[in-house]
Amino acid sequence: MLTPAELVWLIAAVAKGDEAAFERLYAATRAKLFGVVLRILRRQDLAEEVIQETYVKIWNSAGQFNPGLASPITWMASIARNRAIDVVRKRGEVSIEEEPSAMEVAADSPDPLARREMTEELKRLLECVGRLEPDRQKLVLLAYYNGWSREQLAAKFETPVNTVKTWLRRSMLDIRECLGL
Amino acid sequence: MMAYSEDDIALAAEYALGTLDADERARVETMMSADKDFTAMVQAWEYRLGVLNQMVGSVEPSPEVWDRIRAAAGLAGPQAPLVLPDPVLPPPPAASEAVAPAAAVADNSNVIRLSAQARRWRNIATVATAIAAALVVMIAVGAYQPDLLPDSLRPKPRSQVVEVKTPPAAAPSAQYVAVLQKDGGSPAFILTVDGATRNFTVRRVGAQPEPGKSYELWIVSDKLQRPRSLGVIGGGDFTARPVLSAYAPEVVNQATYAVTVEPEGGSPTGVATGPIVFTGKLIEAVPPKAPPPAPAKTR
Repeated sequence: MLTPAELVWLIAAVAKGDEAAFERLYAATRAKLFGVVLRILRRQDLAEEVIQETYVKIWNSAGQFNPGLASPITWMASIARNRAIDVVRKRGEVSIEEEPSAMEVAADSPDPLARREMTEELKRLLECVGRLEPDRQKLVLLAYYNGWSREQLAAKFETPVNTVKTWLRRSMLDIRECLGL
Repeated sequence: MMAYSEDDIALAAEYALGTLDADERARVETMMSADKDFTAMVQAWEYRLGVLNQMVGSVEPSPEVWDRIRAAAGLAGPQAPLVLPDPVLPPPPAASEAVAPAAAVADNSNVIRLSAQARRWRNIATVATAIAAALVVMIAVGAYQPDLLPDSLRPKPRSQVVEVKTPPAAAPSAQYVAVLQKDGGSPAFILTVDGATRNFTVRRVGAQPEPGKSYELWIVSDKLQRPRSLGVIGGGDFTARPVLSAYAPEVVNQATYAVTVEPEGGSPTGVATGPIVFTGKLIEAVPPKAPPPAPAKTR
């Protein structure tokens, strides 16, 4: 993985139409972005379509990247993730029934990172998530990592959708407060 | 942003979290297109939560994906990239007669380079801010920072690249020029690099260092691990140095040049300590040989 500074430079070059830089950017980031969207879509073909759309969008909108707001990989991953969420939401809410194994797979926690490998921002966010009640921690992380809808979360937690809705709202506002925003 | 209700804040957060249904997502996107501040709030949530992706493992997509991206983005294909080619160095003076055919090739690639550049100037204004901010980050934290940028960035200077054509001199080698300036204001320094020797000169045209401070010039490139000092400049009206010859031509030509304010005599550590005040990139001002024919299509 290139350093964030190197990625910033690649994106700046991509914004100027530098195809070689675009290829380097793709090589440096594709596996991370694919990991993110595959977790949500759980289908190789759909995930690859989303990756394709994501990089076309990156090629076309690299000039809008503001390194003062997000790290390059965070910016790119948010484009990929938004696209993946759009795809799963538009496909409807059938994926749990469609894929009974989805629940089990989803129970995997993401790769544990040694604490020293975490950025300060991640530690801070995890501290705030960690202050939520255990069920709500799980709720927020499952929503984020697996891209689950409220209905899917309600099925998982065996709770009415409206309750999930309330929990999610409260959890996000609590995180916001904890982060001091 | 204080004006938003808890409902709006929670809506932005849930959009970023991903739990909204398709209709709600569409509604948020409509709100975003109509309200910049709301967009900023959604993005702030996306970036705040986005650090969670650090914990997601990498998975390789299949190799064909790149071909599909290239086709969908309308890229040229696997041949040599069009943009930012290696500079065509003129032959050394002693051999200049012997390699006339090579010089013709050089002219030809010039046409491509110049017209490709002309196309790219259009984008530069929008990229300039990003580049300047990137410089701040690179110089402030170097390559040592882990995966995220620091919370507080220093004030961002906006850089602008201005094309300056100097009269075609009789000189046999290409001349590259960068105007170092801030906020699109008047030029502070003009950096000139000789394509053959890579000697550079810096002419002070506007900037006056404060008493007890020095201006220091840095070369910043994605091919270098961190910005490297090119020395203190601007004490006199003219500074000439050969230090760029230590860098590869493609690094020299594609780098960004940045000027920081340092303690008198320059940064004591070899790492920039002061704010960036001026930046610029090199453009080719004088082609190595006769002027190129009328620009042709790039491809």
